[in-house]
Amino acid sequence: MKLSRGARDAAIAFGIIVVFGSLAMMLAGVNPIDGFTALMIGALGNVPETAETLVQTTSLLFPALGIAVAFRAGLFNIGAEGQLLIGGLLAGVIGERFIAPGIIAIPVLLLAGAVGGGFWGALAGWLRARFAANEVIATLMLNYVAIQVAAYAITGPLKSATGAGNETGELPPSAWLPTILPDTRLTIALVLALALALFLRWMLRSTVIGYQLRAVGDAPRTAQRAGIDLAKMRFWTMAFSGAIAGFGGATIVLGVLHRFNLALSPGYGFIGIAVALVGELDPLWVTVAAFVFGILQNGAIGMQAAANVPRDVVTAIEGLIILVLAGRRIITRSGAD
Amino acid sequence: MIAFLWLMLVKSAPLVYAALGGVLCERSGVLNIGLEGMIAIGAFSGVAISFATGSAILGAIGGVASGALLGAILGIAATRFRVEQIVAGTGINLIALGGAAYGLVIVFGQPGASKEVNALGPTGEIAMVCLALALAGLLHVFLYWTRAGLHVRACGENPRAADVAGINPLRVRFWATTAGGAIAALGGVFLAMAELDLYSDGMSAGRGFIALAAVIFGRWNPLGAAAAALFFGAFEALQFTLQRTGIPVEFMQALPYVAALIALAGFAGRARAPAADGVPYRR
Repeated sequence: MKLSRGARDAAIAFGIIVVFGSLAMMLAGVNPIDGFTALMIGALGNVPETAETLVQTTSLLFPALGIAVAFRAGLFNIGAEGQLLIGGLLAGVIGERFIAPGIIAIPVLLLAGAVGGGFWGALAGWLRARFAANEVIATLMLNYVAIQVAAYAITGPLKSATGAGNETGELPPSAWLPTILPDTRLTIALVLALALALFLRWMLRSTVIGYQLRAVGDAPRTAQRAGIDLAKMRFWTMAFSGAIAGFGGATIVLGVLHRFNLALSPGYGFIGIAVALVGELDPLWVTVAAFVFGILQNGAIGMQAAANVPRDVVTAIEGLIILVLAGRRIITRSGAD
Repeated sequence: MIAFLWLMLVKSAPLVYAALGGVLCERSGVLNIGLEGMIAIGAFSGVAISFATGSAILGAIGGVASGALLGAILGIAATRFRVEQIVAGTGINLIALGGAAYGLVIVFGQPGASKEVNALGPTGEIAMVCLALALAGLLHVFLYWTRAGLHVRACGENPRAADVAGINPLRVRFWATTAGGAIAALGGVFLAMAELDLYSDGMSAGRGFIALAAVIFGRWNPLGAAAAALFFGAFEALQFTLQRTGIPVEFMQALPYVAALIALAGFAGRARAPAADGVPYRR
């Protein structure tokens, strides 16, 4: 039942990609077969491109997993973009000043990212729990506050000697994440993301806390009658969700850019919503979906170069997938309680 | 002083339009996160149609129509399919922003920015500033003084009761969202065709979210939302002046969002959304 429903969502997403992708390619005067070929070659044509696709997969997977957890609890966290940014910011500004062997620096900085993102998510959770503020609007607004906070931090009080404009200085190489494939940007972040997905699947399915989290999302009133503190659960879920996104931001800083940059995310926090929805909010399928979207993200660059189809069409298609899947029954509102 | 006031009005006008569009949607019970996309699509379509036809007026009409179309899509999704509106609105934004960037290359053959097109000019700019202010008053009169406006508000507060009274909440929400999309797109038309004469990537620059903040800060009320938009616009106009006083520019840019958060949290008087805002209605 669950699987077949998931397969149906995947089929819908696949259909949208093929139909609207073809339309967009034809409008650009390109044969869709050539266009999709260019996309696939751009994404998986050789080892470096495949590695880059997996880098994109990793960067999408963290926020998508955070979003999936929050959605499971009926909390529409659309603030992953800001949480990811704050996580990256902390990892970046601490990382460029923190001289320590990698075995210490890397865990500390990744944790700093999780703390930063967790704090940013908790802020929305706190507004909801303390003031009954709509957490969705709060997370959305906090995205834009995050950009300004980060811009202020790296140009003002935390400006580094070597950083310029909208980025910090480079992190010492000891803090860089070890690569899996030499001469690529593919690092152990991928392994960490996969491990996290497995952990979350286990947590949601087999632990008491995971059961409670789902109960708060599926049937808040019943959960409350069963003795679950809704406000507390929502607060910690938002913090946890933000921490996952923030951790992801830190892996981009430590593994991909080796510095914090204000533009470190081309919208991973928003595209992550599509990834989470296509993956039916199940960490295992979210991982598969992240790979598909990683192909789209990276393949679009090759498609633009080889077939002259503007890569932005991928963004529009991702938006369309979100719009269509926003009506699926897995999304239930926690509503009034 | 006059120069500053004018600059403030110019900076505020797109926010006023988008905020008014947002108020209309939310009053009917549809939470519209897609304002940003509606601004962008209005700006892009206006410029593209002006480029194709050579007529600025046709371009402006086309821009508004594209916003109405996007609003109608959100309206159908929110009524017929009862989607989670916040998630759907995020989708609308990606569709519009990605679509406009793609369209730039298709229509103008170049990424980044369009060519200069026939635009509305200084007269059009003055007219559109006046229209923005007038629209705030008109929407207020519509929502609070007319029968149709009462129906819209009823659907946003208690759609079940409205339904029992013979109003179809789904139809009202659909039309309110469509009209709201058209009004928000006027903000895009203003940006691209009154203030400037071209579309450039990222032109909406978060204005849809500032407008959303204005809706909240203005207590879901047309005059309040317009006042909030003018307030935020004044800060944008003051940015260069205030920068010289040493206040970091980031503080001012974060201000609308922080103000909305404060309003949401209920400091300085509680901001209460329409009771059924964002809640799908099942007949």
